[in-house]
Amino acid sequence: MDILAGLIQTAFLAGGVLALAALGEVLAERVGVVNLGVEGLIALGAMSAVVTVVSTGSPWLGLGVALLVGLLSGMVFATATVVVRANQILCGLALTYIGTGMAATIGKPFSGTPVPETFSPLHIPVLSDLPFFGRALFSHNILIYVIFLILPLALHYMMFYTRHGLNMRAVGENPAAADAAGIPVMKMRFWYTSLGAALASGAGGYLTLTFVPSWSEGVVAGRGWIAVALVIFAGFRPINAVLAGLLFGFVTGLGFVGQARNWPVAASILSMLPYLGTMALMILPVVTWQRMRRLMAAPDGITAPYFRDQR
Amino acid sequence: MISTKSLSRRGFLNMGVAAGAGYLLPKTGLISPAHAATPLAPVAEEDAHIAFGHTGPTSDEGWTWAHDQGMKAVEAAFPKLRTSYVESIPYSADATRIFRQFVADDANMVFATSNYGDFLYDVANRAPDVAFYECDGRSPLENLGTFYLSHWYPSYVAGIAAGAMSPSGKLGYVASFPVPSVYSGTNAFLMGARSVNPEATLQAIVINSWFDPQAATQAGTALIDNGCDVLFGIMDEAGYLQVAEERGAKAVMWNTDLRRYGPNAYISSIIVDFKDFYVEQVRRRLAGEWTPTQDLLPFGNGVDVDAWGESVPAEVAAKADAVKASILDGSFNPFVGELKDTKGNVKVAKGATMSEQELYHWNWSIEGVSGLDS
Repeated sequence: MDILAGLIQTAFLAGGVLALAALGEVLAERVGVVNLGVEGLIALGAMSAVVTVVSTGSPWLGLGVALLVGLLSGMVFATATVVVRANQILCGLALTYIGTGMAATIGKPFSGTPVPETFSPLHIPVLSDLPFFGRALFSHNILIYVIFLILPLALHYMMFYTRHGLNMRAVGENPAAADAAGIPVMKMRFWYTSLGAALASGAGGYLTLTFVPSWSEGVVAGRGWIAVALVIFAGFRPINAVLAGLLFGFVTGLGFVGQARNWPVAASILSMLPYLGTMALMILPVVTWQRMRRLMAAPDGITAPYFRDQR
Repeated sequence: MISTKSLSRRGFLNMGVAAGAGYLLPKTGLISPAHAATPLAPVAEEDAHIAFGHTGPTSDEGWTWAHDQGMKAVEAAFPKLRTSYVESIPYSADATRIFRQFVADDANMVFATSNYGDFLYDVANRAPDVAFYECDGRSPLENLGTFYLSHWYPSYVAGIAAGAMSPSGKLGYVASFPVPSVYSGTNAFLMGARSVNPEATLQAIVINSWFDPQAATQAGTALIDNGCDVLFGIMDEAGYLQVAEERGAKAVMWNTDLRRYGPNAYISSIIVDFKDFYVEQVRRRLAGEWTPTQDLLPFGNGVDVDAWGESVPAEVAAKADAVKASILDGSFNPFVGELKDTKGNVKVAKGATMSEQELYHWNWSIEGVSGLDS
């Protein structure tokens, strides 16, 4: 029981990076922009958060700087892809390389310094002392509750229950029609792409301020790519995206627990679990249930730059 | 070479034979025995170019950082020569390209700071006037030497402290891959722990990376949840030390002094130091004396245990230090049979001493280690 509680606890911790980055990517892809720069944005956010906290001692300020760095990088990316209408895939890859490289270079003097102040777990009266659920669900830092509860619910409500959300989805599905209906396509794409980048960078800040409290080059270790994949897996929906992040964290942890408890399965198979699980969950529902194809489909206008005079 | 169009059953079988032969070769140990090759011609210090190809970033505060310190020592000892380095070289054909670039750039000596195997072998083979050194390498050439650390001795000494400080007798290990370094590290650590607590066991988790703080943190948590109270590993960062600090467990680290990440949890570290070795090899190269060597940096001069952490009791430290002294003066060798593998087969007969080559190529777990041999 204790092991399961520990497993769920680390699933939240590890899944938080993926969940927040995936949320950001959902925003960008819903308005029709694929941002493959997530890996670089996480690195930038992780580095700038550490630099800020080591210099000032405030984790909140660190997170704020990470978000701001992400927003600014996102605005550069959006200028290239939305305003200039350069190829989104190439710009995204460039952002990954620039972000990873810049983070490594700027962060060099700060690598190997432990983060002095992190977001420590909150103690909630009564709830945190519950036997099983206390450790699994109610002894997390505040960011976990923001990432897994507040943000996805708020974004879900915004995207599916408000006129603004409908407009936003329309921009991603068919920018020409949205434009004809008077929705400001460029503005929507520009700001949601930038905001999505801010969240991805915030995921980096979350990583170094809670889960792995120090900066070193390579700390992201490919999680940005997994976040991009999880968005497709989650059918471009915010609640599904955080659940996918949580599931991924859980299955990764399960592999380690399996090794620790000597399950009679080869370690290499256990390490494969997260990827096998993702593939199975991607394929099975679509094969077995036709309606899922439509529900999980990508926005129609994705990756296509919008030229008003060519509609 | 092999087109799928012409792939007959016979062709397929031949491929199997080729693969089988390739599999056998590394198992036979050294391909060419050490011999006195003709030394490479001397190089003037101001013309010399020494290149380093690293596996990780020099800022990792671990393995690559230690090699980078070695490069700085070379620069200090020979201020007129030119050095260059490339970080985070992937284990792919890119590695070949980078090493070839060093050669094209007139490097006189190239250090590869981890096992690049065939990616380096081809480059060295075609550049006979360049001296190559491969860390943890296994196939030497006329101009390709190998070097590594006899880290099993400090691992044994650290294991003594770990065994004495583990109330449950369950040790955890965050492993990268099931390779000889990991086998010798886990085995030596557990043998040290068993010298004070014969009931001790060791559980390893393989995370398939030398550097992945997120995975190491999750693995460390899983080990502690499973009852382990002292963690060891072979990571280039401090992830599982931070877990141990938070959860009130203890940890032994690798590469450098990392106590600032977890002052209460820190027991010690397997400290690596390549400075003297690099300076000496560069000196030999410049002086025209260089022939390839297969070096294992000895305990106490290249690899050592760090000063004990603040939570290590004085009597535990004294006990471990006494064993360290007896290993250093040659009066005690921990790696003497009888040793059994996990299935109970006797692998080292009673009274037989394991040679340094056997320790370097150790590829089976002793009884009590789980998670590596499956």
